[in-house]
Amino acid sequence: MGREVAESCIDSLLTEMVSSYCNHFYANKPELAARRIEAIGYQVGHQLSERYTMERPRFSDHLEAIKFICKDFWSELFKKQIDNLKTNHRGTFVLQDNRFRWLSRMSPEPSLENVDSQDPSENKAAQATSMHLYFPCGIIRGALSNLGIPCAVSADISNLPACEYI
Amino acid sequence: MIVCVAVVGQQNNPLYIQSFTEAEDDLKLHHIVHCSLDVVDERVNNPKRSGSTLNETFLGLLYPTENYKVYGYLTNTKVKFILVTTDLDVRDADVRNFFRRFHSAYVDAVSNPFHVPGKKITSRTFAERVSNIVKSFRLSSSG
Repeated sequence: MGREVAESCIDSLLTEMVSSYCNHFYANKPELAARRIEAIGYQVGHQLSERYTMERPRFSDHLEAIKFICKDFWSELFKKQIDNLKTNHRGTFVLQDNRFRWLSRMSPEPSLENVDSQDPSENKAAQATSMHLYFPCGIIRGALSNLGIPCAVSADISNLPACEYI
Repeated sequence: MIVCVAVVGQQNNPLYIQSFTEAEDDLKLHHIVHCSLDVVDERVNNPKRSGSTLNETFLGLLYPTENYKVYGYLTNTKVKFILVTTDLDVRDADVRNFFRRFHSAYVDAVSNPFHVPGKKITSRTFAERVSNIVKSFRLSSSG
């Protein structure tokens, strides 16, 4: 019973969702917009993890669940696996994706010639991009909490299009 | 003949209980399902060393009572499916098949954006699909 949609529809939907929440619903309150987007991602991740763990035997520990997220879950969503997984063995995992699909079409704004406004413009570009990351963070958090692992997820973009989730 | 199917959530809260007999012994079936939750927990927490894999989703026959047999199935997200049947000889493969179809109906019901996780499943489509699965199980096992 699977119907397929073009991937550009998903891209447009996500871009529109972020822009409408940031500019429309919570115009001057980016924190509220961020939390709302993350909550949407949470529910989506919850439901997706139900669907994608159907045929698999159960996981024996946290590491198995994280590996599942890195490999199967990510490849179902983005057709590729996580490129790099690091852990400090004390509960923190860093998932690195070198070419994150939803960000691959976003170009960082070219810096203006005016030296004074260099910093704010970089900040604005970074801020705009980071808004788009709340949704995948929510997805990861929803999936992990459905597998029984309460967690917090944050994202870090130091170099586009790579993206790290912690 | 399948008497009852139930879906129990992560905190052992009932998400869906449906009985397929005409008699009004719903309460007794509730009670049986409730007792079987203990057996599920016990199986999960104390894995038998003798062979059965730790990570199977299908838990098999949980326990036989005087008239009924109770089968369990545990998903990765700690959602439990319980099946109560009065059949005397049920093939393992049939029950596994049943649970697989039931799981797929459950996943579709939960993917509904209007469904709140943790609340009861109120979708009519889900109820119809479940009753279809139950009917085909009845036919396949008696045939």
